[in-house]
Amino acid sequence: MKRFIAALLMTLLSLSVLGNESVSLKPFKKDDWGNILAQAQGKPMAIHFWGVTCAPCSKEMPQWGKFMKQHPQAHIIFIQVDNVSPEMMRTMLIKANLAAADNYFLASDYDEYLWYRINPQWHGETPITITLNESGKQSLIQGPINFKNLSKLFQ
Amino acid sequence: MGGMANQAFAQMDHSAHMGMMDKPNTCQGSGLECANAATPFLTPDGRLYLAWTAGGVVSIAQSIDLGRTFSNPVQVAEHGKSLDAGGDARPQLVVNGQHIVLTYAFFKDKNWNAQINKVLSDDGGNTFSAPVSIVADTSSQRFPSMLQTPDGKIFLSWIDKRIVNASKGTDHELLGGSIAYSFSNDGGVHFNPEKIANQSSCECCRIASATDPRGGLAIAYRAIFPGGIRDHATQYVSEAESSGPVRRISDDGWKTDVCPHQGPSIAISSLGTFHVAWFTLGSKRQGVFYAKSHNQGASYSSPIRIGLEGQAISRPYLFASGQHIWLVWKQFDGHMSTIYLRESLDDGRTWLKDRQLSQTMGYSDHPLIIGDGQFIYLSWLTRAEGYQLIKIGAVP
Repeated sequence: MKRFIAALLMTLLSLSVLGNESVSLKPFKKDDWGNILAQAQGKPMAIHFWGVTCAPCSKEMPQWGKFMKQHPQAHIIFIQVDNVSPEMMRTMLIKANLAAADNYFLASDYDEYLWYRINPQWHGETPITITLNESGKQSLIQGPINFKNLSKLFQ
Repeated sequence: MGGMANQAFAQMDHSAHMGMMDKPNTCQGSGLECANAATPFLTPDGRLYLAWTAGGVVSIAQSIDLGRTFSNPVQVAEHGKSLDAGGDARPQLVVNGQHIVLTYAFFKDKNWNAQINKVLSDDGGNTFSAPVSIVADTSSQRFPSMLQTPDGKIFLSWIDKRIVNASKGTDHELLGGSIAYSFSNDGGVHFNPEKIANQSSCECCRIASATDPRGGLAIAYRAIFPGGIRDHATQYVSEAESSGPVRRISDDGWKTDVCPHQGPSIAISSLGTFHVAWFTLGSKRQGVFYAKSHNQGASYSSPIRIGLEGQAISRPYLFASGQHIWLVWKQFDGHMSTIYLRESLDDGRTWLKDRQLSQTMGYSDHPLIIGDGQFIYLSWLTRAEGYQLIKIGAVP
């Protein structure tokens, strides 16, 4: 029953149209990491892990929104990791002009299993960004990102 | 709020929660089996009180058989997704006879300002007062850290945003939060006007505190030093005086704006030695480290690495009784989370060989150490095995 409710909740979340602006929020579990990476298809990509309750994250999110507007071709995935309501995520994403971005929310525990699966050097701090270059080489960037460097990735 | 259901024990047998690994790892309920953090308090007569957060609810239950079974839990507060359930958040609990004080934090508005509430019981946990804020200030308070002093006072410290918020828009905007604290002389009914120990601290890491058997107490926390360096500090605190100077534990050089979600631990021996452990990703060292001070933090020994370099080491926790020091931590090898113990019988001069205490596969809480005046226990909540209280030693 719990499994059914969880599945129903995730379906509703992924299709939710909240307020006037639609925000698509897809569930992410650590075992989905391979599928996320596969989306790169030999092209540069960045995956940004952030949390609604993390002050440095919320401070930086509008800058991500600005970057996305300036670099519409950039392939960036956002994964929200705090255990908060969809409304809370939606509010912050809209405020950051990221409502139309490729947004996920963490649907499993935020623990060492997740961090290790993503990158053994990740210890749970937020925000972090994983970048992939054209060769698929991954880099872990801890803390607020240098957007000038990020723009070079997508040139 | 709710009652303890006649304190009928044995209703919650945690062997029933074995085998959780085959279920989805998003646990939705408010029971202990879904808790992200559980905080114990062991009374001198061996009664275990356990407070936890799960599914947006703060609950408490009792055990008379050291955690094998629990009374029906009492839900003392419900905040849904607004409850602070971050990686370093946990309810705080003090029990003194029939009197119980429980504190926790939740997010009170859309700007993620937090509030620390207290709930009290005067009948051994049968009933609790309605949650109320611990301070009148309306800015933001988070990460309560609470203990009871030997003379029965309650000491509460927390991350406070009033100074940082007031600095916004000025020429000297501050980062992070501040370390605030207060004492209560009546079991948490009233708290004295709060004081600020340090204006600049990390805002996403819990504070550690410990009483000094010779009087006073000390706090350890992730400070923000000039240049945005998030290294650790201790401060001596006594009720009668202002907090002592900020003492840097180690020059790790972690210049960052991340939320580490990993606070330090501190224990003080009968000789007044400060033992501290912490996590850093500084430019000068990365990992979990231990150091001690014989002069109330004025100087610290060179940091000693805990665990192997390159391993995922986290959540160190220290406990002192006399000159006997216990240090536990969590190590993750990619498959299993293991709790290790390192002991010293001589106030940290020499250490016994590390030994493994417990393992799990799946989500687990921080390892904690508690004592009842006779024995010392590891307190560990795991999703697969449930709550465990494992005897690891005796009071010297």
